Amino acid sequence: MSSETKPLPIVEVLNLRKRYGAIQALKGISFSIGKGEIVGFLGPNGAGKSTTLRILSGLIPADSGEAKVCGVDLAEEEGEVRRHIGYLAENNPLPEDLRVIEYLNFRARLKGLEGSRKRERTRIVLDICDLERKVSERKIGNLSKGFRQRVGIADALLAEPRLVILDEPTIGLDPRQSAITRKMMERLRGEVSFLLSSHILSEVEACCDRMIILSHGQIVTEGTLLELQKEFIHNTVFEIVAHGNRIDLQREIRRIDETCELIQDDPVEVTGKRRFTFSTEKGSEVAENILKRLLGVEQFKVSEFQITRPDLETIFLRATKKNWEDQDFLGRKKKRTEVANEQSE
Amino acid sequence: MREYWVILRAELFGLFISPATYVASFYFLSLLAIGFRFFIESFTTTDWILPPLSSLVVGLVFGSPGLIPFLTMRSFAEERRLGTLETLMSAPVGSISLVLGKWSASYLFFLIICGFAFCFPALLHFLFPEQGETLGFTQYEQWIGAWTFLMIFGASFTSVGIFASSITKNQMVAGMLSFTLLTLYLSVMAFSFGESSSLNSIDNFSDFWNACVGSFGHGLHKLQHFSVGLIDVGTIFHQLILSFLFLSLATLQVERLNH
Repeated sequence: MSSETKPLPIVEVLNLRKRYGAIQALKGISFSIGKGEIVGFLGPNGAGKSTTLRILSGLIPADSGEAKVCGVDLAEEEGEVRRHIGYLAENNPLPEDLRVIEYLNFRARLKGLEGSRKRERTRIVLDICDLERKVSERKIGNLSKGFRQRVGIADALLAEPRLVILDEPTIGLDPRQSAITRKMMERLRGEVSFLLSSHILSEVEACCDRMIILSHGQIVTEGTLLELQKEFIHNTVFEIVAHGNRIDLQREIRRIDETCELIQDDPVEVTGKRRFTFSTEKGSEVAENILKRLLGVEQFKVSEFQITRPDLETIFLRATKKNWEDQDFLGRKKKRTEVANEQSE
Repeated sequence: MREYWVILRAELFGLFISPATYVASFYFLSLLAIGFRFFIESFTTTDWILPPLSSLVVGLVFGSPGLIPFLTMRSFAEERRLGTLETLMSAPVGSISLVLGKWSASYLFFLIICGFAFCFPALLHFLFPEQGETLGFTQYEQWIGAWTFLMIFGASFTSVGIFASSITKNQMVAGMLSFTLLTLYLSVMAFSFGESSSLNSIDNFSDFWNACVGSFGHGLHKLQHFSVGLIDVGTIFHQLILSFLFLSLATLQVERLNH
């Protein structure tokens, strides 16, 4: 696709900076989000995720840099930008003494929805978030955490936003409630762009098209899960469940790939077989060749073979590790002498 | 403007469903009714120089420190405690609309209570027309003056309450702060809100000071004017400035919270 016909990204952030007193929360981050994309925003505590989300939702201003939502500059037309955004704040604060339907009606009116459109949108979001009539008549203060979270998401979706910002949407939810939240995002995939901040990496892995990993106010990496796996995990790891001892097995494998290393050897209960975990630098194709060779050797009786993909947690830890080691607790770069001292210790 | 109406409506709804508001209003109106009854009964024997209707106004104004905090303390303090202020600000709503909406709701509720209080003399006049006429309840300029006085002072009192609510997360602290500020304000008003000097007679600092804050010993001087239907524009202007000042401070505080 040529650059002329390429659709405008929903979010464009360029060199965004924010400081809170002595702490530089954001150190010039840049990224963009396309239409209908679900982007996961990851990072350790204090990485600057919530600050970025709060800037994008127009709650706080950035010190410098540029942020555009739907082509509208946040610094110039903050009110206009808020019309395109649905925002679920961290901890999802809600008024306790209102009924769900009263709250949603109030929010709808605040977002400029009136009359039949207000009723229609309220009905749609109640349906999307699985808030049936009985729940919508209850007071928010009497709802469980899961239902409250769904009310918050329903509010975020009310005014047909083009971007929905969810700050820790599934924190404190049970797996079933988390699955409902994911299902809701799946239903809207392609129509609405989502920017989702979460510490639950498996969830981000399951529902996000792309991830942006932040650490100490900087983007340390971004891309799809596959791209991140390639960037941070260079070796292919595979597991074999087989009979025989590891020396014979390793000798056989090394005939195909000399770089292959045995990294784990555990017995499998009852069967008498063992689970061997190997790592190779030569990619998954070599691993498959190894399998073919082992299947030809009767002694091993291979019953299971699996190439294990590194999960997002491994990638996250590797991506943030270097940046974490280079910064002090205020997010400033450590001096070379300090780093050297720490290393010598 | 749309957001202002939405906030106003929601806040009024919040006040109408809050038990604390009803309890405070009930006690306030009950005490006021009892006070008014005894005042009317003993009116002929007292040396009260103002029309009887002004006693109700005095009761409402001096009882305000006990009532206004109940109407305003929730507005921002509760939002801050729950964290819903952030959610509110994520919608396309400005801090000015927000402050004005919340203030208008408390103010309107205050006026509703004043309206109920005005039902006492109206009812008296309706049930006992002769006595009502003797007490001057047929002179409508007195009603207009008294209502205007309450309107302008209610505006500044509620703005003080809104400001107090915006600076703390704790409703009780907000309530106590607005009670203290209003009591202080009434004390200053009672003792120093007297005759203001005209510009022609300002010859020294003392004259200037008197022109600004009035002279001591002329407590509630302005009520004399209003109670007989004489609208004092200077007093209206004075209260509007105070309302504007406290509402501006509350707006600045809300904006500061977001930065």
